[in-house]
Amino acid sequence: MKMSLSWLASYLPGPAPDPAKTAERLTSVGFIVEGQEGEGPATVYDVEVTANRPDGMNHRGLAREAAVALGREFRDPGAGAVAESGRPAAELAAVFIEAGDLCTRYSARVIEGIRMGPACAAVRARLESIGSNPISAPVDATNHVLWDIGQPLHAFDLDKLATGKDGRPTIVVRLARPGEKLVTLDEVERTLTEDQLVIADAEKPVALAGVMGGLHSAISDSTTRILLESAHFHPGAVRRTAKANGMHTDASHRFERGTDPLTTLDGLDRAARMIVADCGGALRPGVIDVISVVARPFAAATLSLRIARLNRLLGMEVAPERCLSILKALGFAPERKSGVIGVIEVTVPSWRIDVESEIDLVEEIIRCVGYDQLPETMPRVFVPGESAASSILEDQVRDQLVALGLTEAQNYSFVSRDENAPFVPAGPGEPVEIENPLGEPFSTLRATPVVGLLRSAQHNVRRSRVDLGLFEVARSFGWKEGKVAERRSAAFLLAGKRQSHWSEAARQADFFDGTGVVAGLFAGLGAPAPRFKAVSFPFLAEGRSARIMAAGGVLAGWVGVLAAPLAEGWDLVDPVVGDVDLNAIPKPAAVTTVEIPSRFPGSAVDLTVTHRKEIPWRLLEETVRRTGPVELLAVDANNRYAGPGVAPGFVKTNLSVRFGSPERSLSREEVNGWRDAAARALLALPETRVDGIE
Amino acid sequence: MAEIREAIEVAVKALSGKLEIAEAKAKAAPLSRGELNELKVICIGQNQSHLSFMLQQLRIASKSEKPALGALINEAKKSAERRISALEGQMARYEAERAEGARAVDVTLPPRTPVVGRLHPLTVVRRRIEASFRSLGYEVADGPEVESDWYNFESLNFPPDHPARDAVDTFFVKGGGTGRDRLLLRTHTSPVQMRTMLSKKPPIRTLCPGRVFRKDDIDPRHLPVFNQVEGLAVDEGITFADLRGTLAAFARTFFGDRAKVRFGPTFFPFVEPGVDVAVSCVLCNQKGCRVCSGSGWIEIMGAGMVHPKVLANGGIDSERYTGFAFGMGVDRIALLLHGLPDLRLLLENDVRFLDRVWSS
Ligand SMILES: [Zn+2]
Repeated sequence: MKMSLSWLASYLPGPAPDPAKTAERLTSVGFIVEGQEGEGPATVYDVEVTANRPDGMNHRGLAREAAVALGREFRDPGAGAVAESGRPAAELAAVFIEAGDLCTRYSARVIEGIRMGPACAAVRARLESIGSNPISAPVDATNHVLWDIGQPLHAFDLDKLATGKDGRPTIVVRLARPGEKLVTLDEVERTLTEDQLVIADAEKPVALAGVMGGLHSAISDSTTRILLESAHFHPGAVRRTAKANGMHTDASHRFERGTDPLTTLDGLDRAARMIVADCGGALRPGVIDVISVVARPFAAATLSLRIARLNRLLGMEVAPERCLSILKALGFAPERKSGVIGVIEVTVPSWRIDVESEIDLVEEIIRCVGYDQLPETMPRVFVPGESAASSILEDQVRDQLVALGLTEAQNYSFVSRDENAPFVPAGPGEPVEIENPLGEPFSTLRATPVVGLLRSAQHNVRRSRVDLGLFEVARSFGWKEGKVAERRSAAFLLAGKRQSHWSEAARQADFFDGTGVVAGLFAGLGAPAPRFKAVSFPFLAEGRSARIMAAGGVLAGWVGVLAAPLAEGWDLVDPVVGDVDLNAIPKPAAVTTVEIPSRFPGSAVDLTVTHRKEIPWRLLEETVRRTGPVELLAVDANNRYAGPGVAPGFVKTNLSVRFGSPERSLSREEVNGWRDAAARALLALPETRVDGIE
Repeated sequence: MAEIREAIEVAVKALSGKLEIAEAKAKAAPLSRGELNELKVICIGQNQSHLSFMLQQLRIASKSEKPALGALINEAKKSAERRISALEGQMARYEAERAEGARAVDVTLPPRTPVVGRLHPLTVVRRRIEASFRSLGYEVADGPEVESDWYNFESLNFPPDHPARDAVDTFFVKGGGTGRDRLLLRTHTSPVQMRTMLSKKPPIRTLCPGRVFRKDDIDPRHLPVFNQVEGLAVDEGITFADLRGTLAAFARTFFGDRAKVRFGPTFFPFVEPGVDVAVSCVLCNQKGCRVCSGSGWIEIMGAGMVHPKVLANGGIDSERYTGFAFGMGVDRIALLLHGLPDLRLLLENDVRFLDRVWSS
């Protein structure tokens, strides 16, 4: 927001304020001077005024702050007297507030007999200095008042306002009727709805209340009679109207944040004086000042400030005298409460709509005392409890995946609808779309972080980085039973070669690298080994895709080779992708007993089994396990072979069975006995042979 | 005649001792051929060896003692020969290995490095922030990313239709309801603070890290998705000065012992007073540089005393308890720490970037 130093100085009697010092002091009390143009008195600041301080969005209000910050006097010269003559204004126009809850006050004055022309040079220069283009004397007068004291005004051509039954041009503040139309000053025709507040004449809307006037009733070169509007609107009403029409004006900016209901008359007088000075004409006696019947009376709020509370909140002592002088300088009316020690009664000025309670007064005092005065202390010692289990687990998963040689990625949470669609069957629910997205590819919350990883992989492949192991621990989204479900998962992607060395042929990442990541993750987290069950998902290659089953058959996600058509779209060949549901990974108990390793070495036997290709490893393993005594520890696959020497449709699997006991050495005979039992069980499988066993 | 037996026994011991020393030495590195020859001469050589001395003694021994002493000497000789031969064998194997060369490799060839994974820079920075506050007694909390209007705005003193909402451009969920239940992507992690207050009694020290969303167009300084760490402390007697002390302590652990913090007034609806927090620029020691735009200060977070209305919405008696809250952007701090020109680098996942820059 542009603010002129010389304009500010008009409220600061005495020598011209130093531009640099003023900027620094304004910043220190919360009006951040972000930029500065010009030099000396011609300095113009760019000030950031926060949404809670509409009173600082004009020169008088900001000058009041500057006076406190600089320790100088603030003086408002006021509007000055304006001569009135002729018929009373009330005979020349009528004002009615229909929407009394949305318009608290509507004040108007009438000027007749003006000659349109430019504003005086001083006013034009002021407006130009803050980047506002001069238009005509009446319009410039209203703009000047807005930037001077923060009261937005509007000037109507009185002759363009339709008259009511009594023959007077009439202003009605009301809600629009559905379908009513208004061409605003920017020459856009707007179709209004019944939640928009308008200023109407006896027949039709003539302005969007607090936002912008209508073109038809605007003053023009031929205007001789003016009705000046100076109102106080409900901030929400102006905001809704402006938002609905996609508009933002200097006026709406202030009304939305809250204007001072007591300034309407001051604003009218200041503008009227300027218009009459520049354009001649006569200001008609009196103000048409309508106050809504449902509006609260503009009684000043009174708050109590407890000095002890102030000191306790700040953690430092501020003397009551200091509090009194700061509040006074800011325009508050503070008084020591009679009979109660340590309490100051504070009357809040009408323009400080942000000050509602004691804590607001505390802020006023500390920002003027200066934050650099605040000591540095520590709260009392606190013994923390356990952090959220979900956060701890997520970080453990990240560490484990890094240990497995994967690199962590982070992606946008949204993807395009089309990118997301294939994965919806495996996601937490129906796709969640953004109502107001940045466009594609950001319209839909992802059903799996895999989508983002594919994007990352493509980015790298296009930069000749084709050997990739990426993971992301993040949330996926889906509509489920009328709610948006958030699933926490660890997704990963493997592409290209997993590890390559000049000494051996490189190997492309394949399905088992994928299940290996999952198994490694479970092992690293101390969870029982997961199982993999063949599954058919349209987005995964048929026959190279599996569901992940945690202990007890709990579904824990999926893993597989991405279907070729999808992979091609991402510039990838056979990437392996997976998504592990973190909630489904069994959590090790906080306290577990550790089994002491046996002192006895145990022993292992090998079996070579020739069987139909269709018999899954899991069946071989389970068959052997079922025959095993308690001493059977593990069944592992050593080797699998198909080719010359093995009939077509068959494979030869070499497996080893490990036995051991915590209590004793095992004899050769008992181990051989177990081996034979395992072999016989395997022989019972259809079309299966075991080497060396008949 | 007992002197002769004694002399021989001493010589046997000396011989064995000599070999023991050589064997001990050979454990560290095989003996050289010269060392071995010398050893052989001293132990079992023709002249002036331990063995030749024993044989001399044997010659002057009485007839009756000769067989026993002879056996003793023979035993010692065989043992010495066996031990020397073992040392020779070791030396020979060592020499053969050196001479062979067949198993030698070009050690300068690239190693078989296992694939090394890395954490994302944002994770590394977030963990550093978390560690600083954990050491001050904060526990980490967690909450949903899709939130309701009430948790994200209204409970935090952003009334409906209030311009304070203009500062936070919000993504809404299509079909996500209306009013206070309307679903949106959280614009800050403050809803987690509200959830914490509603589920816990003071004293509270909570850290809320997480992803947040703002409808910003993507450019070098803005992303529509970024990461925050927010903190909340609620207790009896918590002061604004405690906030300053806490953030100063954080700045020192995070940016180095000399870091200082500066508060400047600003407005956030959920705190009062609200402040912008700047840390003294550690890159230029406050002399002014590109990173701090010459000011010597870098704004890294917002903070303030929790607004009494927010405490009340969280079910906390604001007369009895006070609290402070703070929040910072992890992405911006990562940018700062690593001198990165563009936030977008953080979400591109270019492995050249991820591999090169980061070590945790
Ligand atoms: Zn610097």
